[in-house]
Amino acid sequence: MTPEATRRRAIGQILLLAAGLIVLTFISAGSVYLVNQAREDARWVVHTVEVENQISLTQLQMRRAESAQRGYISTLLPDFLTDFDAAASELTADLARLRQLTTDNPLQGRLLDEMIPLCNQRIEEFRKTIALARAEHVDDAARIVREGIGRDAMGHIDDLANQMRVEEDHLFLQRTTSADRSQSLAASMTAAGSGLVVILAGISIFLVRRSASARDAAEAQLRDNNLNLEATVDARTADLREANDEIQRFAYIVSHDLRSPLVNIMGFTSELEELRTDIFKRIAALASASPAPVAAGELEPALEGEDKQLSEGFSEALGFIKSSIAKMDRLITAILNLTREGRREFEPVAIDTRELIENIVATVAHQVSEAKAQIRIEPLPDIVSDRLALEQIFSNLIDNALKYLKPGVPGDISVRGRTKLGFAIFEIADNGRGIDPKDHQRIFDLFRRAGAQDRPGQGIGLAHVRALVRRLGGTMSVSSELHNGSTFTITLPIGWKASNRNRDS
Amino acid sequence: MSQSQPVTIIMIEDDEGHARLIERNIRRSGINNEIVPFTNGTAALSYLFGGDGSGIDHGGRALLILLDLNLPDMTGIDILRRVKENKYLKCAPVVVLTTTDDSQEIKRCYELGCNVYITKPVNYESFANAIRQLGLFFSVIQVPRSAP
Repeated sequence: MTPEATRRRAIGQILLLAAGLIVLTFISAGSVYLVNQAREDARWVVHTVEVENQISLTQLQMRRAESAQRGYISTLLPDFLTDFDAAASELTADLARLRQLTTDNPLQGRLLDEMIPLCNQRIEEFRKTIALARAEHVDDAARIVREGIGRDAMGHIDDLANQMRVEEDHLFLQRTTSADRSQSLAASMTAAGSGLVVILAGISIFLVRRSASARDAAEAQLRDNNLNLEATVDARTADLREANDEIQRFAYIVSHDLRSPLVNIMGFTSELEELRTDIFKRIAALASASPAPVAAGELEPALEGEDKQLSEGFSEALGFIKSSIAKMDRLITAILNLTREGRREFEPVAIDTRELIENIVATVAHQVSEAKAQIRIEPLPDIVSDRLALEQIFSNLIDNALKYLKPGVPGDISVRGRTKLGFAIFEIADNGRGIDPKDHQRIFDLFRRAGAQDRPGQGIGLAHVRALVRRLGGTMSVSSELHNGSTFTITLPIGWKASNRNRDS
Repeated sequence: MSQSQPVTIIMIEDDEGHARLIERNIRRSGINNEIVPFTNGTAALSYLFGGDGSGIDHGGRALLILLDLNLPDMTGIDILRRVKENKYLKCAPVVVLTTTDDSQEIKRCYELGCNVYITKPVNYESFANAIRQLGLFFSVIQVPRSAP
């Protein structure tokens, strides 16, 4: 997965969460609003019912007042009178209440405006008939009632009340519908919102699962890669070891097989030398007039002129051949020793490094005093390693330091040590003739040397030392300038690791 | 090696120059026994073990084997092992004369029954000297006859 895709995915999830939050807020707000709306609608419905009820009550009081009036006129019982008064006062109160309830509706207000005077007129009429009846004019009152003067007004009142009821019924229907709508809207909104939230949650879960599985896959891949890497490193190491072993075997075989013809060359050169002695003895015998045999034990017969030149040419040629063979033999022996060293198995032991260096210094004490030099040994860390290898490493480096001092300058050689991260770092520093930086690599190559060739040597020491250091699991480097001394730095593991290249044979 | 008991020297050496130098220096030390040279392992084995591979051909003869380890077709160690496992040949002294001075190889040869192990010196003086001394050694050692 690319980083870009990961970033996009993260942003997507944040957006998803934000969307979920927004939807939730929206739904909450909407729900609150719609619930309020529904409550309002319900209140209006109740209001409508109240108004209708009030209309009915008003009509009822009107009828009650009417029936009380008729009762009184018919019977003149004072009970009816009380009843009438109560109804009349109730009616007034009811009308006031109705007025109060219908202030929101101008239509009802208008109808009420029309109805209230009619009612008042009716009540006045009732009072009048009652007053007539009380004043012993029952007949007049009954006549008024019979004539039905107020019947029209009463019909009108009922008509108005009906109109109001119709209006309220209409409003009731309207408000119920509205309340229903609000409620269903709230319900559907909640349902839709919940659904949306569920969907968002689903998407979110899906995304989380997908990224989790992607992460698992990445982890698995990482694990695989690690394993692969380890396997690759192991395989490479094994390859390198094998290649190294092969080179060692190769060098060993080659140097061995090179030796064999060398024995022949050397052998037959010696045979030739003997033949030459015989030939020149004979020539000398022939040349000298006297055929007396050359005395036994006399190696070189006296020769003269051309014969002498011939003999010298012969000797010179044989001398070159022999010295070349000797040199080749030394080189082959050196390679052989190096490869043998490469095949030697190390024996790790705890080494008192200071004591080891002191022993080496003791063996070169003579050279030190001859060169008027001094060797200072500073505190050194102890390590676990192969004693013989360490002896070879340090004695080679100290020998070199002594060998390449600056003529006329008292030598000052110091051996220093410190530790770092599980490695011991040793430095062998001198104030000798130094090494040109361009030769820093070359001096570690086999049979290569640097600087003035005024000291005996084959160019083997440092190659050998570096091979040993590497086999011990360490590294080696040099820092030096011409005429300014050299410092050889050796880094070796303090403890012994099984991975150090012990041959597994 | 007394003349009354003629000992045949079997020389298995792939390098003819070496063979010639060895022969010369042995002769110089006064050894006149017959030297049978072989330059490869196969020819030497077929001579030593005969047509039937049993080695009975040499029953009752006195043999001394000079053996080089680095042969073109096999290693001298194989020859050494086969010789020392053969009931007719096993008492023949085997002198390993080779360039190898690997301590493992030397140990192995002695374990297999080699009688003398000599590393060829590259320096000819030493080489000639070693062979001459070997010749002197040959002149005094007793070599048994093979089992009949």
